[in-house]
Amino acid sequence: MTVQRTDVVIIGAGHSGLAMSRRLTERSIDHVVLERGAVAHSWRAERWPGLRLLTPNWQTRLPGGGYQGDDPDGHLAAAEVAELLAHYARQIDAPVQQQTTVEQVRADGDGAYSIQSDQGGWNARSVVIASGANSVPHLPDCAAALPSTITQVTTRDYRGPTTLPEGGVLVVGAAATGAQLADELARAGRRVVLSVGEHVRLPRDYRGRDVFWWMDRSGVLDERFDEVDDIVRARHVPSPQLVGSAERRAVDLAALRELGVELVGRLGTVRDGVALFSGGLANTVRLADLKAERLLDRFDAWAAATEAPVDAAVDAPHRLEPTQVDPSPRLMLDLQKQGITTVIWATGFRPRYDWLDVPVLDAKGRVRHEGGVVDAPGLYLLGASLLRRRRSTYIDGAAQDSLELAEHLAAHLQSSPRESALAAGPALV
Amino acid sequence: MTNSSCSPVKPPSVTLRNPPSRNVTMLDARARAGLPSLQPPHARPAHAAHDCRETTMSTTTAPVDNGVNSDALLGARDALRESPAAAQFTWRATSEWVRGTHSKQTIDRFIGLGAEQQHKKAFVLEGDHPEVFASEDHAPTPVETVLAALAGCLTAGVAAVAQNRGIQLRSVTAVVEGDHDILGILGGDPEVRNGFNDVRVTFDIDADASKEDIAALVAQSQKRSAVFDALTNPTNVTVSVA
Repeated sequence: MTVQRTDVVIIGAGHSGLAMSRRLTERSIDHVVLERGAVAHSWRAERWPGLRLLTPNWQTRLPGGGYQGDDPDGHLAAAEVAELLAHYARQIDAPVQQQTTVEQVRADGDGAYSIQSDQGGWNARSVVIASGANSVPHLPDCAAALPSTITQVTTRDYRGPTTLPEGGVLVVGAAATGAQLADELARAGRRVVLSVGEHVRLPRDYRGRDVFWWMDRSGVLDERFDEVDDIVRARHVPSPQLVGSAERRAVDLAALRELGVELVGRLGTVRDGVALFSGGLANTVRLADLKAERLLDRFDAWAAATEAPVDAAVDAPHRLEPTQVDPSPRLMLDLQKQGITTVIWATGFRPRYDWLDVPVLDAKGRVRHEGGVVDAPGLYLLGASLLRRRRSTYIDGAAQDSLELAEHLAAHLQSSPRESALAAGPALV
Repeated sequence: MTNSSCSPVKPPSVTLRNPPSRNVTMLDARARAGLPSLQPPHARPAHAAHDCRETTMSTTTAPVDNGVNSDALLGARDALRESPAAAQFTWRATSEWVRGTHSKQTIDRFIGLGAEQQHKKAFVLEGDHPEVFASEDHAPTPVETVLAALAGCLTAGVAAVAQNRGIQLRSVTAVVEGDHDILGILGGDPEVRNGFNDVRVTFDIDADASKEDIAALVAQSQKRSAVFDALTNPTNVTVSVA
């Protein structure tokens, strides 16, 4: 197969890869974006149809593009996100090579990288990893201990209530996805037991404004990775219990409980067909309430202190009702006896780096990086939780992150020019 | 605290309460592992350095002293992340039957930081049952020792979290109660479990902090408590005969 030569290979044509493509085009840096499927592949093929963005449409901002519709306060569905990104790719004329799966990236001796794909090879001086933080569903070990009569579904494969076998559902995990699926299934008339570990409670609206308006304006989303007390922990905080919906409904634990969802503690293990849950539910709920209160305190303090007339433009401060849970929640669930036919693993995703043959992974398989500058010259990471700032976790973070990393990348290209390229010329090898 | 450039500004003190010199301390582990440097070609932003100064000021000038060496613990956290094998501890108690329901447990050595460790001295706990169980009541019932362990663990957590958050404690007391239907252990009702049905801990804390901050202290101490976890989550336990 041929080996093509370019300055930068971007892996992944999601919002991050495309934003970086735009930044490199702005700097006239030669590059290609390799995408295993079509643009925004995971939004098309690996998310359930009912999924909507947590963030309001006005916040779907991209360099030279983003949401342009007439519903700034709405929330895009997965298919609409895919459509928006496909449009964006055309808009910025991104050099995307679709249906191209990267199989290996390794460092060449001369400071360049060799990229192997199922569609041939590339040689590049810089590689941007934008392949997504949420590639492989992460299941606890006890998944293997579930009886074979139970249908196990990950949130990557879940497609809606009607696609599940009849019967009750145990949803494991109460971050955004778990809370949303518990809500969707309970509304579809299913019996739902929700196993709740550490979680983040947020109100959809506060003082008459979307919570993301508050986080955006008050500077919460601009808090940098090197300002956070414990960045490892902060990068692993679960996504908030929110859903994007026309009626702006809540999917926090109180709302789910009202729908009849039974709340239990974190899943400890499964023994002889019996799921065992932690007895610490009350504390995880209390912690989430306290954290939510602290965030609202921060919003209020900002509103009171800022020069913009915010306090006058929003409703008066108020506090959330403490979340009530059963003081002695169920510790054991005999799945078969209780009519549970499906377990949904909403226990998070991990990125996939099995193609990355550069020694930059730590003992836990995470890329070692400082704000996206990976621990290998010319290698960059984009589109990861709290990569450079809290905003990085959302689509909205790509604009600033890609701007800063493109600057770093351009400096890298300049400081290590490809001398051999001058001699050999930029021709195909 | 996770910022490695903080350490030259104020090196943490070097002991966790006079460990015997042959022992490896948490801070030796930190030094051995070394903290990784991942400095990008561009210098760190200026406000990162500012963070360090703030940290230093709060730890050197703040009068908060709960007798907890936060710097050492946070340093150990960073170091052990880099060398997770050293974080593998094995705790140990040996036990000997005395007579009747009375037994003595000795706690002396444990494994951790990649080496055999030893307490300053051997500690002896005893277990027995009260007279209402037709026993001689030489010592607490083991279930009471479990409650005491929970209180000890949570209280240590309160102190550590308070130190880290700059909260001065004046007094921390707690009452721990465990509801127990003894028909289980007596074999009197197969539907009753042997262990506690419910455990309640009530803290009374006097500190320089708001009610909310104190609630957060207690919540965080549960989140990081080994005994709370051991009681609330299933654990595989293997009992064998040597």
